[in-house]
Amino acid sequence: MNMVQQFDPAQVDYSQDLGTPGAESDVMVTVHIDGMPVSVPEGTSVMRAAAMVGANIPKLCATDNLNAFGSCRLCLVEIEGRPGTPASCTTPCAEGMSVHTQTSRLDKLRKGVMELYISDHPLDCLTCPANGDCELQDMAGAVGLRDVRYGMEGENHLDRGKDESNPYFTFDSSKCIVCSRCVRACSEVQGTFALTIAGRGFGSQVSPSEQQPFLDSECVSCGACVQACPTATLQEKSVIDLGVPSRKVKTTCAYCGVGCSFTAELRGDEVVRMVPDKQGGANEGHSCVKGRFAWGYAQHQDRVTTPMIRDSVEDEWRPVEWDEAISFAADRLNAIKAAHGVDAIGGITSSRCTNEEVYVVQKMVRAAFGTNNVDTCARVCHSPTGYGLKQTFGTSAGTQDFASVEHTDVMMVIGANPTDAHPVFGSRMKRRLREGADLIVIDPRSIDLVRSPHIHAEHHLPLMPGTNVAVLNAISHVIATEGLIEEAFVAERCDMTSFKAWESFIRLPENSPEALAEITGVAAESLRAAARAFATAGNGAIYYGLGVTEHSQGSTMVMAMANLAMATGNIGRVGVGVNPLRGQNNVQGACDMGSFPHEFVGYRHVSDDTVREQFSTIWGVNLRDDPGMRIPNMLDSALSGSFRGIYIQGEDIAQSDPSTQHVAAALTAMDCVIVQDLFLNETAKFAHVFLPGTSFLEKDGTFTNAERRINRVRPVMSSRTGFSEWEATCALSEAMGYPMPYESAAEIMDEIAELTPTFAGVSFDLLDRLGSVQWPCNDQAPTGTPIMHKDRFVRGEGQFVTTPYVPTDERSTRKFPLLLTTGRILSQYNVGAQTRRTDNVIWHGEDVLDIHEADAEARGVKDGEWVEIASRAGETRMRARISDDIPAGVVYTTFHHPISGTNVITTDNSDWATNCPEYKVTAVEIRPASGQVA
Amino acid sequence: MSTAMDYQQRHLVKMANQIAGNIPVRADVPERICAHMRQFWTPVMQKSLRQIAAETPDSLCLEVHAALENL
Repeated sequence: MNMVQQFDPAQVDYSQDLGTPGAESDVMVTVHIDGMPVSVPEGTSVMRAAAMVGANIPKLCATDNLNAFGSCRLCLVEIEGRPGTPASCTTPCAEGMSVHTQTSRLDKLRKGVMELYISDHPLDCLTCPANGDCELQDMAGAVGLRDVRYGMEGENHLDRGKDESNPYFTFDSSKCIVCSRCVRACSEVQGTFALTIAGRGFGSQVSPSEQQPFLDSECVSCGACVQACPTATLQEKSVIDLGVPSRKVKTTCAYCGVGCSFTAELRGDEVVRMVPDKQGGANEGHSCVKGRFAWGYAQHQDRVTTPMIRDSVEDEWRPVEWDEAISFAADRLNAIKAAHGVDAIGGITSSRCTNEEVYVVQKMVRAAFGTNNVDTCARVCHSPTGYGLKQTFGTSAGTQDFASVEHTDVMMVIGANPTDAHPVFGSRMKRRLREGADLIVIDPRSIDLVRSPHIHAEHHLPLMPGTNVAVLNAISHVIATEGLIEEAFVAERCDMTSFKAWESFIRLPENSPEALAEITGVAAESLRAAARAFATAGNGAIYYGLGVTEHSQGSTMVMAMANLAMATGNIGRVGVGVNPLRGQNNVQGACDMGSFPHEFVGYRHVSDDTVREQFSTIWGVNLRDDPGMRIPNMLDSALSGSFRGIYIQGEDIAQSDPSTQHVAAALTAMDCVIVQDLFLNETAKFAHVFLPGTSFLEKDGTFTNAERRINRVRPVMSSRTGFSEWEATCALSEAMGYPMPYESAAEIMDEIAELTPTFAGVSFDLLDRLGSVQWPCNDQAPTGTPIMHKDRFVRGEGQFVTTPYVPTDERSTRKFPLLLTTGRILSQYNVGAQTRRTDNVIWHGEDVLDIHEADAEARGVKDGEWVEIASRAGETRMRARISDDIPAGVVYTTFHHPISGTNVITTDNSDWATNCPEYKVTAVEIRPASGQVA
Repeated sequence: MSTAMDYQQRHLVKMANQIAGNIPVRADVPERICAHMRQFWTPVMQKSLRQIAAETPDSLCLEVHAALENL
């Protein structure tokens, strides 16, 4: 018995598996584990308390991201004064309890349990892919099992077949110990409930859906079951092929705005698998099919790793050395500057790149090019978020951390499909919904959250595309006219003049649900019920996506949501807030880093003399005080001949931007198009210079996710191009006469911190120490700010803004009677440049058009057959899928495959304040495709 | 005037009228349009809009014309 050791909570290694989840309680209880005292929150299991003091109790069915199950009977302990040998995972600590984890009685019992397990397990450890990384193997060693008295000849499961249908992992039932960890991970962590235990007793076995192959089941391939499996039953195929990893690097996923932390596990320079990091602030150990498995594009044969140039787009590409490519690009841009002026060139930054890479591009444009013509791909997604939240709250960012949702009583999900587009956060939402939070979904489509296992949206408002503002106004009207405004919050925290103006506006009869029902398509009583639920449930949180922003009134809608949050007092504490679900991994960061043409880093206008002087001093160059052009203005100017050269970092505007014909014509008109990317994308067809980019596995820097969390991106493997992307940008800048002599990405972040009050405390050292921080991070908040606007808004008082509904110009007509809206699917990502180059295509090999049965029947459209889609902008073809997820009058598709040409038919309509394209509303007509279809 | 110029000018007209129709606070609309354009439009775009206002005044709404007086 060790009586001299003292428990030190600071010394607990939370990266190890503590067996059961932590408990939350203000009451602490003290127990003795093998004589060592430990104080833990009431509700903590004996197993966890023991692990915290280093007394690891053998276990198989327990793991600390799943609720205790108590089935394996290996974690038995003895407790003084209590009979028997209870399972430590299901036994909560009680004050004064004295626990013994190692006794001869326990040794005998555990050894007996292990014997039974091993008697029905193939003894192929030496050739097993999990050899050396197997909990069953570890536990056999831990209990000292030396032989199996029962032999191996009895009835067993060793001849069960292997399911290899999933492209990323196998299911070898012969190795299964039926611990249910996979089943529970699918239920508790992912929330899909695709797995179950079929059969009884000795015949029990894990079953995907109704004993289907994994690929045909409801499994979403998030990998939670694979991670939970203590044996090689569920095993990554990459591990089977390559062997158990030998080294690890922590980094951040480069897909959606959730920004999951991963441990890249490698052999040498080859990635074997990506394992979600349970200490990752954004994902807490969970993952989705993209981040967990779809990273193979980094090594895809299509990848271009050598710079290339050509005089004309009619010419073949000519691979060259970096020096020649940089000189060629610089000469062309300088020639354009000399002939047409500095405003004839510009650049676009990418939300797929790190903060440091984005920062140097916008700096190059402002300092080396001499213009503010810099924009970012956030132009086409969340630019209205930046505008709307800055107007109302004072800063362009979401208000909460993801963990906040665990305290939400009612979620309002608007124009977002989290289970597909932000799946790891979607799982977190579903967990809270299963705990009893209410759900309001405002979306034309019946997204998965509307009805899925153990989830049901009490309020689904299936509005017509383009009527978001009308619906939000009607909700606020109900709250204002039914006495549901949180008067005390408004009086204390908000600008009363603006509030009174808004209140007068919102109470107008024209904003009532009844008055707007015909326009919105939402029944007035349904809307009133949803409004009351949001205002009265307690903590109300708004989560929204591109279904809000990509409208002609996207910015107005963001402000309408901010109004609603302020009016109901749902801002400034845990469980509430206005939360944009960012589309790409670093949308927040790219915007933070001064990518907009009117703002320096940290959202400060270029006309602010004090700010500009600060940048001029540090950068050593005079800077312009007038805003530059946005992407659509650059393209317009290209057609008029006044804009002739562009540097495009990691964005495929020829596929992702609206009205493809217009984009193509503008790019064709330019003298110098420089594309920096992993692949020869659609835009590269119009390029004169191709600078090979680096995948996230090669980058050194930071991403900032949707909750303002700055995460480190660490180089997992060496750069395939020989350069970091920021080095290539700096080389071009120097060739144009403005050197940017950084030695490292860390040095770039140091400069960002020096110039940006909200980043003042950020450094690579701090991030390595804390794991991540959420900005603002400075002297006032040295470890970051999970929740914003706690005591006051960034702008001081919250600003209400009146939000009159103005219908979009894009309306259904006799010629184009249906409204097309677009979105993402789980397995694919944006324009598909990455995911199309992985096995994810098995789930989504082509974009399809979802159409309601009534609309299909009226047009003679049959499920699975090709249709022609015509809008006033253009025409394209794809297969139809009859779906009851959308209402009659609306059709839906994705834009993951360039061959679909989805943006051939989207229009040039855009948000009034930011020019964010109106992707979500396009009037179309559908007809069965005629003639031969390829 | 070339087709390309027409496109650019048509877009500027559309943007300006759309701003006028959507400025949330309906008091002092011309001043708010003016402030919005100063904040987000390049000087060249502002100049082009002035030229459009002079050459094809009917293409722009009254609030935009009023805003241009102070831009």
